[in-house]
Amino acid sequence: MITIAISKGRMQDDALALLSKAGVRLSPASLASRRLSLPDETGEYRFIFVKPADVPVYVEHGIADCGIVGRDVLLESEADVLLPLDLGIARCRIVVAALDPKVITRSFGMLRIATKYVRIASEHFGARGIPVEIIPLSGSVELAPALGLSDAIVDLVETGQTLKENGLCIVEVIRESTGLLVLNRASYQLKAGDITRLTNALNGAIEGVTAA
Amino acid sequence: MTRLSKLPPGMRYYLGAEARLRRSVEDTAMSVFEGWSYEEVLTPSLDYYALFEHGMGQTEAQTSFRFSDSDGQMLSLRPDITSSVARVAATLLAERERPLRLCYAAPVFRRQQQSHAEWRRENTQLGCELIGVSGAAADLEVLLVAAEILKSIGLADSFCITINDVGIFNGLLKQLSTQSQPHEILRRLIDTRDRGELKSFLDRNCDNASIREAFSKLIELTGKQEILADARRVITNPDSVAALDRLGRLWEVIESLGLDNSFEIDLADVSSLDYYTGISFKVFIQGLGYRVGRGGRYDGLTANFGRSEPAVGFVLSLDSLVEVLGESTSVNGKGDPAKSIQAGELRETFLTAVTERSRKQRIRISTNL
Repeated sequence: MITIAISKGRMQDDALALLSKAGVRLSPASLASRRLSLPDETGEYRFIFVKPADVPVYVEHGIADCGIVGRDVLLESEADVLLPLDLGIARCRIVVAALDPKVITRSFGMLRIATKYVRIASEHFGARGIPVEIIPLSGSVELAPALGLSDAIVDLVETGQTLKENGLCIVEVIRESTGLLVLNRASYQLKAGDITRLTNALNGAIEGVTAA
Repeated sequence: MTRLSKLPPGMRYYLGAEARLRRSVEDTAMSVFEGWSYEEVLTPSLDYYALFEHGMGQTEAQTSFRFSDSDGQMLSLRPDITSSVARVAATLLAERERPLRLCYAAPVFRRQQQSHAEWRRENTQLGCELIGVSGAAADLEVLLVAAEILKSIGLADSFCITINDVGIFNGLLKQLSTQSQPHEILRRLIDTRDRGELKSFLDRNCDNASIREAFSKLIELTGKQEILADARRVITNPDSVAALDRLGRLWEVIESLGLDNSFEIDLADVSSLDYYTGISFKVFIQGLGYRVGRGGRYDGLTANFGRSEPAVGFVLSLDSLVEVLGESTSVNGKGDPAKSIQAGELRETFLTAVTERSRKQRIRISTNL
């Protein structure tokens, strides 16, 4: 049996839709239930639903053989997993946003950055030698500049609506982020046949071929 | 003040059955090494940081616990054994007839990030080094020693050793005309099979379509012998082809020994390129989400100590092996039940005890509380 860890929230519906196109389906009864660990219709797969940041953890430890999670989460985690397939779902951007579009070029002192993405932010500014003080937040990051907690934020943006409503504009795009299939290194070797079958089915689903 | 009952993170006790299992796995491994004429070596637990920096590379060495000696020199609790073995081969054993066959079972210490699956700050390595010979015979010898150890401890049906030859990837790199930093990125993208990122990286950095194809094909080349033929279709430079030939010869022997079910070729395993110079391999076991060992050829290693010679070896993690064996494995060593001796008059009690012990009888002295 192959265990698949799915990021709860933003990516969950897209991930399940793609898996269903690839022939891996949860029964309607399962979908309606609130259980966090569910078998698929065939019993060949087991789904576990966990917070996005925990997907790489379950996969690196081999508790889940594979997982579906955003690139943003992977860049933030140090997990050692394989990333064989970009699923192209939940497409969004990781950006630097601020009230003042020139905030970075104007500042020669310490730039204060509020973010959920401590690692991404510190690497992004570190690579250019810009001194920053990272203020880790766990949500509603868009509030920070307006309230004076930080000069700018590093955050995930889908439509940009929340930024706009809080008076922020995008200063820099750090990179694009999409949902990826991640694999445990040992499962990749020890369950090679099953894993290849799933990868191929997902690849087919991305290219628009619906599995029977 | 820290409570005295608390342990430092990552440190632990091994008690009862688990301690016996560790001892028994270690003994089994050492007897296999001995069976292949490997000689045990005990290395210093504490050594100069510079030794490990040269022996393992800076990134790995930096995981060691470091502190300074009274003369200001930087010391490390050993984060690996191989560095020290390479030094002794080039110094104290310099005049000894080659090949040298050395083995060890000893704990190493690393300051790992807690987030990782393989998180153990103290980890006992079972390993060996075959120094002074190059070629397929030496490579096969250490592979078979590793396989025999795994079989002997009862994992015959559940281990998988993935093999690669870093010459394949390095041959492809030579065809790229870029500097070293993109090499490191390329290595990481192939190692993590990051197909999407790899494609955009190659589109930016490589204008030769056939080299782009070869690199992107590499991440699919995991399997048995047939993938060597697949590889030859896209990889044509002489260095890589020579490495494919070497791997092919190893595989033929593995197959003829009936071991091909336990082995796999993985051309995308390029995780430690700066260290290995020929064959490299990793050991996985059913039921464990991370590797239990790794090894390969590192012909450049002993040159750090003034004597350049070929070397190949591997380490298995005793801690991981014991984790997968669990307590399901029956551990012998209990022997006969202990004979109970009731403590009474001291001289008489211990005369009995010493006499029984001289007959190798197991005893247990019962004392009234």
